[in-house]
Amino acid sequence: MDMIEVSGLVKSYGPIQAVKDIQFRVKKGEVVGFLGPNGAGKSTTMKIITGSMAPSGGSVRVAGFDVFEEPLEVKRRIGYLPENPPVYGEMTVESYLRFVARLKGISGERVSKQVEKSIEKTDLGSVRKRLIQNLSKGFRQRVGIAQALVSDPEVLILDEPTSGLDPRQVAEVRALIQELKGEHTIILSTHILPEVQTMCERIIIINRGRIVAEDSLAGLSNRMAGSVNVRIRVARPGPALEQALRAVPGVVTVVVADSGYSLQMSGEDQAVEAIAESVVHSKAGLLELRREVVDLEEIFLKLTTSEESQTPGSVP
Amino acid sequence: MRSVLVLSGKDLRNLFHSPLFYGIAGLCSIVWSGLFFAALYDFAHASNMSSMRGQGEGASLHFVVFARHISLVNLFMIFAVSAMSMRLFSDEKRNQTMALLLTSPVSATQITLGKFVAGLVAAWALVALSFLYPASLRSFTAFDWGPLIASYIGLFLITGCYVTIGMFASSLTENTVLSVVMSLIFNVMLWFVGAFSDTAHNPVLDKVFAQLNVGSHFVNFIKGTISVSSLTFFVSVIALMTFLTQRVVESNRWR
Repeated sequence: MDMIEVSGLVKSYGPIQAVKDIQFRVKKGEVVGFLGPNGAGKSTTMKIITGSMAPSGGSVRVAGFDVFEEPLEVKRRIGYLPENPPVYGEMTVESYLRFVARLKGISGERVSKQVEKSIEKTDLGSVRKRLIQNLSKGFRQRVGIAQALVSDPEVLILDEPTSGLDPRQVAEVRALIQELKGEHTIILSTHILPEVQTMCERIIIINRGRIVAEDSLAGLSNRMAGSVNVRIRVARPGPALEQALRAVPGVVTVVVADSGYSLQMSGEDQAVEAIAESVVHSKAGLLELRREVVDLEEIFLKLTTSEESQTPGSVP
Repeated sequence: MRSVLVLSGKDLRNLFHSPLFYGIAGLCSIVWSGLFFAALYDFAHASNMSSMRGQGEGASLHFVVFARHISLVNLFMIFAVSAMSMRLFSDEKRNQTMALLLTSPVSATQITLGKFVAGLVAAWALVALSFLYPASLRSFTAFDWGPLIASYIGLFLITGCYVTIGMFASSLTENTVLSVVMSLIFNVMLWFVGAFSDTAHNPVLDKVFAQLNVGSHFVNFIKGTISVSSLTFFVSVIALMTFLTQRVVESNRWR
């Protein structure tokens, strides 16, 4: 079942189109990473999904409810952490969470239970009686996450959950999101690559208001033309072998590297098999054949920069 | 209804936990005490004089002491309510907690009503405080409750107007200083709309402006008359400003 369905989403701020025809689906229990440079339209898309912003066009359905037609039903099912945690400095952590729980429509007797649960999950027990304004950035961010969790929503939308945290806090927040996997459908946005690599099952790369790629991490690496590299180390390199490698279908370039070759290919497993065969056939003495997975950073740079050069500042 | 109470409860708790309310209430009571005493002194002096001249009871307690006190409270409420209502929406925007309200299962109307109730309770708490002054005189002398209670109904209504005007100003900006200034200007403007009643030189317009004269409606209450037109006037201002605020809150979604 699709928990979130976004189709043909458009949002304009005056003459500037921040989101141009975005379309994707998220299945129940999936963790999806929204990746893109700053200003790509991630936050705008998330705000529209939460119902706090009306789109200029297109539709969004959450758990079968249209965000536009039945915003209250959608909001009941969503926990949202904006870029800046929406906390009241003059409240204590506990009273703040109680307020949010009631605001989200949790009935009287369940409020305490839900607050306890979210405090426990976000490990805020030690600061529960402290004023939020006296807490560090890391704790405030956790209070923000606790706030999103307190109504036990089906969908969690986290806008840059680790921004501004120190490395240890980043690790803690990531671990927390790992724990939440499975219980909730999660969309999280970030411009930090390792984050999606560690947390997300599926990645949606957005640039300039458009989706430029959408796949699982492995699929994304595979799908990119020329993104699969094969490195070969042989005992007796020579021009004959180089010729033979170039002749293998699927090989794009052959570069002579130290005591071997680096092949860029268009990404089929059969090609790898054919390479191995031809090396063995030429009796060059195969020492190593290694498939190099291109890391996300390269894909990301490639996608976002090539998109930029194709559509230079297109304002419709 | 529950969401409205949850929202206003939060605002009230934060207001009553902050020094702002007590500061305002304290300052108001200092001034009120001094001037109430001065009014009483004047009244005592005037009644002494009239009884010495054999002119009967002379001045009325209601008009010499209470009406003066009530106008003074009214003047203070313009400033006090502006100072208290500035935070209603501006703070939510500045702290970026507006996102929380807008993504919670509450409508723009509920958000607005929550803020309205919070502002009203806080402002009425101050008005109730000012009621202690005239009420305390009851242990020294007998007076008619009627006109005093009518005046206070008027005072409650006009503070309601200030609250909604302050709330509207607050919804327009995230800058609290700007919000206070706007609220003060709007409140003062409310008092001066009626001033046009003699300048229009048009019988219909003159009547319209006369009906918009806050002063004359308020004086009705002070005189002890609760007229339907005055009641309608104040309730309409409150309803109009609440409606406008609701539109501004709703428009957050469209920006």
